[in-house]
Amino acid sequence: MKEKKIIICDDDPGIIDLLEIILEDTGHNIIAEMNSINIPSLIDKEIPDLLILDLWMPVVSGDQLLKMIRKHPKLSGIPVIIISASRDGEEIANQAGASTFLSKPFDIDKLIATVEAHLN
Amino acid sequence: MNKFLKGKFDFSGTSINDNFELLTKALDASISGIIITDNLQEDNPIVYCNTAFETITGYSRNEIIGHNCRFLQAQDRSQKEREILAKCVKEGKECRVDIRNYRKNGDLFYNELFMSPVKDVDGNVTHFIGVQNDVTTRKNAEHDLRQQKSLMEKKIEERTADLRDSESFLSSIIETVREGLLVLDPNFNVISANYHFLKTFKVSAEETVGKELYKLGNSQWDIPQLRELLIKILPTNNPVVDFEVEHDFPHIGRKLMLLNAYRIELEGQYKDQILLAIEDITERKDIERRKDDFLSIASHELKTPLTTIKGFIQVLQKSVPEQANDKYQSVLDKVAVYVDRLNNLISELLDVSRIQTGNIELHKAPFNFDKLITEAVEAIQATAHGHKIILKGSTNAEVIGDESHIIQVINNLLSNAIKYAPDSKIIEVNIANISEYVKVSVKDYGVGINSEDTKKVFERFYRGNEVQKKFPGMGIGLYICDQIIKNHQGTLWVESEKGQGSVFSFTLPKN
Repeated sequence: MKEKKIIICDDDPGIIDLLEIILEDTGHNIIAEMNSINIPSLIDKEIPDLLILDLWMPVVSGDQLLKMIRKHPKLSGIPVIIISASRDGEEIANQAGASTFLSKPFDIDKLIATVEAHLN
Repeated sequence: MNKFLKGKFDFSGTSINDNFELLTKALDASISGIIITDNLQEDNPIVYCNTAFETITGYSRNEIIGHNCRFLQAQDRSQKEREILAKCVKEGKECRVDIRNYRKNGDLFYNELFMSPVKDVDGNVTHFIGVQNDVTTRKNAEHDLRQQKSLMEKKIEERTADLRDSESFLSSIIETVREGLLVLDPNFNVISANYHFLKTFKVSAEETVGKELYKLGNSQWDIPQLRELLIKILPTNNPVVDFEVEHDFPHIGRKLMLLNAYRIELEGQYKDQILLAIEDITERKDIERRKDDFLSIASHELKTPLTTIKGFIQVLQKSVPEQANDKYQSVLDKVAVYVDRLNNLISELLDVSRIQTGNIELHKAPFNFDKLITEAVEAIQATAHGHKIILKGSTNAEVIGDESHIIQVINNLLSNAIKYAPDSKIIEVNIANISEYVKVSVKDYGVGINSEDTKKVFERFYRGNEVQKKFPGMGIGLYICDQIIKNHQGTLWVESEKGQGSVFSFTLPKN
């Protein structure tokens, strides 16, 4: 299987750390970013196969990023998984055009399964 | 002589004596007492009285003749009528008075006295003639009437004072309540407005009273929802309770108001007047919203590190070294269970707050009921190693509801069944079609519930006394379940016997 590129973005270092530990075992190339403002230029440069975004982030929120991506001609097809502890997270994620929503705390097996499903 | 006083009288008597006797008899036949006093003698003594006078006064003739009239007044000398009489006697004029006199036996009687002078050719008053009627009955009736009247007046005064009292009592209540209150006539003109209304909406009584409601403050009260309430809803749904209206007022800004309207149906002067209570809940709603926001943020912030903990524990569970003993694995499993519990508690706290503020949001959609139950049961079974959950029955029904909430209820009932039946393995879940409902029952063979507690277990923060020591909890799970089922127009109830176990059941309407 060809190595896939996954960009993860969450303002919480603990979550970033966890996601990296879980996902590095999948053999994919993980690029972590804590500052959501850097995401547009990062995805433009890297063109990832999958994006995992938190919702509530300072300055630019996950749903704002997602809406921008969905309108971008080149990037709109990238699958985006939204993970959030917000109660309204699923609704917001779906409205913004998320491929899948996972509520925090999530089950890591489910996360891995979801990631793989979107990469294939 | 048949002629008397120049032919004015002509009696049939043959002599003056005869005629005099006749006249005397005539006077005696009168029911009015008649006396003659001699004004030319000292102290104007009575020189004649008829029989009626004797009857009225109770005195006999021989006790009367020679006395001045005043002897009838006994000790009652301070009457103003006496002065009138004395003046007339002095001036030789006639008069009429009602005077209090006393009979021989001391009884009071009212004497209606006509007194007229008799003058000689030179105009000197020689005699007075007094005609008297006993008007005691009339006087008493008059007196009674007066007394009645004054009594009535007093009563009316008291009533009026009472009315004034209760009116001012009522108006002080109306002025004290912290809620705007308007009284409208049937044409929606303002009859009165209380202080709080004027204060909240920053208007004066002059600008308000007498005006049509919609025209208040340059028609800023012309609110479509308000018209709807008064014209469409109130006539058929009296009273209207808690009607929420939001409106942007030019001067005071956006207000969220809770309206209660009541049309007076009682016959009488107030009929069809409308009482309109207006509660400004702008601030309260704002506080509720901020509290809700706070809890959302707090729960979000708590869940973020919890996500990390849960994730790392799972990583650890997956990477248990081969040489590690069973204890190692079981400790990790336990930590995972408690992290899940902590997560549930945080979610429940947020739910309680939302239910209380009425902000629980349901995202209703049709779903396959049997599938939802089966999956929920399987998910719980996967974590409940000590118990066997047996699912029986099927409905093949579609239900419209918020799936995540219904799952939450099932999870809660199953977790309770496991928690409160630590020593029995079996838990039964039954699903069935009952009329237009689906019914779910979760049966355990655990500790059961006291009969007095069965009614209370659905109350917020309620914990049975005995239960709390053995099974700690916050007492919010069943409260949330009950609220969720109610929000889906269903019913949640429990049947239980102490020591025998419990059956929690709920129904949901089918699509």
